[in-house]
Amino acid sequence: MAAPEQTQEAQEERAVGCYVYGILPGDVEVDPDARGLRDGDVDLVRHGRIAALVSEIRIGAPIGRPDDLTAHQRLLDEAAVEVPVLPLRFGAVLTSREAVEEELLAANHDRFLAALNEMEGRVEYVLKGRYEERAVLREILDEVPDAARLREEIRDRPEELTRDARIRLGETINQAISAKRQADTQRAVQVLSGHAVANVLREPTHQEDAVQAAFLVQTAQRQQFEKAVEELAQDWQGRVSLRLLGPMAPYDFVITPSPGG
Amino acid sequence: MTTAVQPAGGGGMGRPSGGGLADVIDTILDKGLVIDAYVRVSLVGIEVLAIDARIVVASVETYLQFAEAANRLDLTQTEEQGIPGLMKDIQEGGAKHKTRGAIEGVGEKLRDFVGGDEGERVVRRHRREGE
Repeated sequence: MAAPEQTQEAQEERAVGCYVYGILPGDVEVDPDARGLRDGDVDLVRHGRIAALVSEIRIGAPIGRPDDLTAHQRLLDEAAVEVPVLPLRFGAVLTSREAVEEELLAANHDRFLAALNEMEGRVEYVLKGRYEERAVLREILDEVPDAARLREEIRDRPEELTRDARIRLGETINQAISAKRQADTQRAVQVLSGHAVANVLREPTHQEDAVQAAFLVQTAQRQQFEKAVEELAQDWQGRVSLRLLGPMAPYDFVITPSPGG
Repeated sequence: MTTAVQPAGGGGMGRPSGGGLADVIDTILDKGLVIDAYVRVSLVGIEVLAIDARIVVASVETYLQFAEAANRLDLTQTEEQGIPGLMKDIQEGGAKHKTRGAIEGVGEKLRDFVGGDEGERVVRRHRREGE
């Protein structure tokens, strides 16, 4: 009785879908050596003045291995340096190339084309800053009397006997870091927004994050933007370790319309 | 003496982030156009393995870690430098603490992420229509 199921599974394993990386202008060509997920050939599906960057993918198996993730981003980021790109979120698979052309490209042609025109000559950068723990703690103990007092209270005393004070101290430190994050994020945006077309703040992903923000930058402004980031990194030397990711595809600046919107 | 290296045994805090992969995950699993909004009929629901909900939720555990880090903190460093106000001056006055390290550090990161070798482009434009 298991036979029909097996047949279905076997069919699914053989089944191939069309993985979509992003939307590009129609007047581009892809390097034949470009590789996508699972080392697949990358190709374009064209319609009108736009195209989708795609590769074949076997549908039976789950995706999301580190290699898969980096392949998706690398391909889009490398393309974004050359041409405008609308990146899709990881994991977009349609049944066939025809479906990509009709349902994705034809049905949304004008909207995608307008967005591509907006992204012309623009790339994204992401700025990530993490506090140097000891430096930021020193600042807080210096600036927040409650923190300094609570630290004295627990200083070199066993954890079991000082649990309440420790929790209060930790909470005070956490609040102080949040306030610093807000101020430092504002400072970074203020310093860098003069060299960017737009910016978007990202939510912190770690309790010691100082800043996480994405910037949309004109190609002609890239050098000035990068220089401004270097200056900020110097200012924050020893206090915040800054990393700049990019140039990359404008992941933070493409907006998916809400249903009915 | 400055060191960016966290003391050993520092609990869960100060752990270096997962490097490049964590950055990739933050971006491509969380940002970008969502296909479901554009296509409904021929969508293939493929299982995505990568799950990373690294949302910052302040917990008692976090507080205890902060407290222990503060407890362990050696303040003599600051005291040797003299006045506690010094730290403030550095942060407000800006570029008093310049070192080559920072510049080179950023430069390296930039190079890491400028994808592709020169002359070998993944995507190339041939011509603009009607322009």
